[in-house]
Amino acid sequence: MDDLIKLVRTYRLTSGLAERTRLAEPIFRKIAPDLHLFVFSHISDRNADDVFQEVLKAVAVSLKTFKGITEKQFWAWCYGIARNKLNDQYRKQASDRMVPVPPEDLWQMIEVSAQDAPMTPEVRHDLEYAMKLLTNSKPECYDFLWNHFVFGLDYGEIAADRNMSYDNVRMKIGRCLETAKSLVS
Amino acid sequence: MAEMSPKDQLALHEFSVRYREGYAKSHPLSDLHLETIQDAIREQYQQEQSAQQAPKPESPTPQKSPEPEEPEP
Repeated sequence: MDDLIKLVRTYRLTSGLAERTRLAEPIFRKIAPDLHLFVFSHISDRNADDVFQEVLKAVAVSLKTFKGITEKQFWAWCYGIARNKLNDQYRKQASDRMVPVPPEDLWQMIEVSAQDAPMTPEVRHDLEYAMKLLTNSKPECYDFLWNHFVFGLDYGEIAADRNMSYDNVRMKIGRCLETAKSLVS
Repeated sequence: MAEMSPKDQLALHEFSVRYREGYAKSHPLSDLHLETIQDAIREQYQQEQSAQQAPKPESPTPQKSPEPEEPEP
């Protein structure tokens, strides 16, 4: 079993405050960066930190009620909480939608990861290609492609969030990717 | 709609993994955010304790009223 889900399951069975606080730290050290990325890539910077804090609090308060048994379920649950908080913010401020991350900022993170895992020229080429697919997509496609390919949300999770059918999401993502490919090549 | 090629899938997956790794290194959990989390856990814990200690509502069954005293003969 993965470390993260082991920690979460132990947390769920823990009743003492000191033990909960001790277990929460490694859990949140693992999940906070991805939740930070999720929030900051879906909303403008000026409100993102407030929403991020709300997400952390909501996850912390609800952690004992998480019912799943796999890490994938846990991530889907965390992203679900984050989406709810983002939707609350969108209702307050409809224009506060995500702004695409500039390619140079994206590439900077790839370079940071390469400090520990150096890239071969082939890998570098593939990553540049993948980045172009994501950044050359049409504005209405950006969110779909990011949620699916970067955050790993499956078609069903995106469909539930968007009030769309599973097949419509699958076709939308396929079309978005085809269009991005035609723009890249 | 054409199926996504394995090469595209692999490139996008590798990008996701590396991008998230780089992002995690550049954005570790701050002490301030950790404190926020600990406060939330403490509040939640206190609420649970208060809920456990709160007196349970009395049973709705009506109490038997005392028998009226027999009048003195």
